[in-house]
Amino acid sequence: MSTAAGVIQSGAPWALAGRLPLRRHMPLILGIAGFAIVIALWEISALAFGLSVRLYPTPLSVLHTFVDLIRKGILPVHVTDSLARYVSGVAIGTVVAVVLGVLFGLNRFVARMMLPLVNFLYAIVEVSWIPLFVLWFGYGPKVILLALIYVVAFPVLFNCLTGVLSVPQVYVNAVRSLGATRAQVIRQVILPAILPNFMTGFRVGAGFAFRALVFGEVIAAQTGLGFLIFEGAQMQDTSRTVVGMISMGVLWLFFDRVYLRPLERATLERWGMIAGEGQG
Amino acid sequence: MAAPASAPAPAARMRASGNWIALLPFAVLVAVWLVVPLTMDVPFYVLPPIGTVIETLWDKLASGELWSDVLSSLGLLFAGFVIGNALAFPLGIAIARSRFVSQLVQPVVIFMQSIAGIAWVPLAIIWFGLGVGSVLFVIVNTIFFANLYNVIAGVRSISPTLFRAVRSHGGRGWQIYWHLVIPGALLQVIVGLRTSMAYGWRALVAGEMIAGSSGIGFRTMEAVQWYKSDVVVLGMLIIGVLWLLMDRILFVPLEARTVRRWGMIHR
Repeated sequence: MSTAAGVIQSGAPWALAGRLPLRRHMPLILGIAGFAIVIALWEISALAFGLSVRLYPTPLSVLHTFVDLIRKGILPVHVTDSLARYVSGVAIGTVVAVVLGVLFGLNRFVARMMLPLVNFLYAIVEVSWIPLFVLWFGYGPKVILLALIYVVAFPVLFNCLTGVLSVPQVYVNAVRSLGATRAQVIRQVILPAILPNFMTGFRVGAGFAFRALVFGEVIAAQTGLGFLIFEGAQMQDTSRTVVGMISMGVLWLFFDRVYLRPLERATLERWGMIAGEGQG
Repeated sequence: MAAPASAPAPAARMRASGNWIALLPFAVLVAVWLVVPLTMDVPFYVLPPIGTVIETLWDKLASGELWSDVLSSLGLLFAGFVIGNALAFPLGIAIARSRFVSQLVQPVVIFMQSIAGIAWVPLAIIWFGLGVGSVLFVIVNTIFFANLYNVIAGVRSISPTLFRAVRSHGGRGWQIYWHLVIPGALLQVIVGLRTSMAYGWRALVAGEMIAGSSGIGFRTMEAVQWYKSDVVVLGMLIIGVLWLLMDRILFVPLEARTVRRWGMIHR
């Protein structure tokens, strides 16, 4: 973590706190202070701009709307809808990708043949499929589900195929010369070798999918947090929009910290194959 | 354990042998696309015949509409990239270098980062109106948070020994930043560039579709209203090809020239 900074910056003001019992709680206190400063700046900027609360919400109006939306049971409905869409889309997308990955990946020749097509379809981002999906199915939940499946399936499939192709032939030959059957080669060599690739693809896909969810719900849904955000802006009730945005952030943090990172740690980091990369 | 780092060898072999067989799946796809509208009674808005799409492409090339859309989209992406990074570098360095700043700012940043850039679009529309302002806001937001993470990770990956070495040779103040921190962090930033641009690209297309008044994303979504499926399909293909071109022309050579040559492959 910040040991590098700690070594160099031994004269910094917080070094003083070392003698105080406060020190142990310093990260927490500073973290809360950070949020307090942001909220204070937000409030001050609202006063300074002098815009209507409908166009530029204040922290208080957002809190008010938040409580209101929970009391009326509106927010929980949107959260559950978004959650259900996300989980089902990611799950189906992963299963599709794994099935196709195994089908294509069993044979190096097939994997090599399919890889460029998979790469091309991966490059046509799910966002640009949404207009066509809308033409096919109209504005509705099908569009979102398809976009989510698409956005998860291609990074996973692409990474699995590159994984298959990057297994050195020597390993396969070595295991085969020891008398392994084809099935054993796949189970003992190929699958363990591509697990890190699978995880990289899954991580990327899960991140993209969350954005696709927001986008899909803005365009083609009548429920969900994306819809709440969009509806709030349309009704010029921006407090609703901000409540939706904050709920979205909390939801993603929850996913990221409770599911994705532990999963990554359990697989990649244990083998020393950390590929932690930007997750804007 | 087969490390992903061994990828270049087969990949190089693949390129050398000219992977012609990979054209087969594309050919099958095009063949299906050719045959289906002829044999089955598919309405135009569901699947435009391949010929119509090519005609539309020529029309748009001739009228110059395609060029102006593509240039407007790429220009926005570029502007968003420059502004986003100009903001991300100083803050990222400050967070990585000072424990005080890190403890104060990082929780807020992590929280803000988890609010997807695209979720800002509706608010941006209210503040900046439909058009370039809103789309640019969303791209800057996305690129900023994506690269902030890379800058922090990059600066933190610099070994403390190097800092001591620079100091013991008399490096002070700006020299440390200019000669050590920025080049040191650049590595990680380059490695993460592809990922952050992938997020930025999606933000651009999505932003144009919801809030744009120009650009390839806007044109594609606009066509949905008039059931012009040929324009929609053409837009999709162009979005895909543009990303592949950016990837091949910019990021792959960039990574090859810098990260791989310096022996710091991460994948």
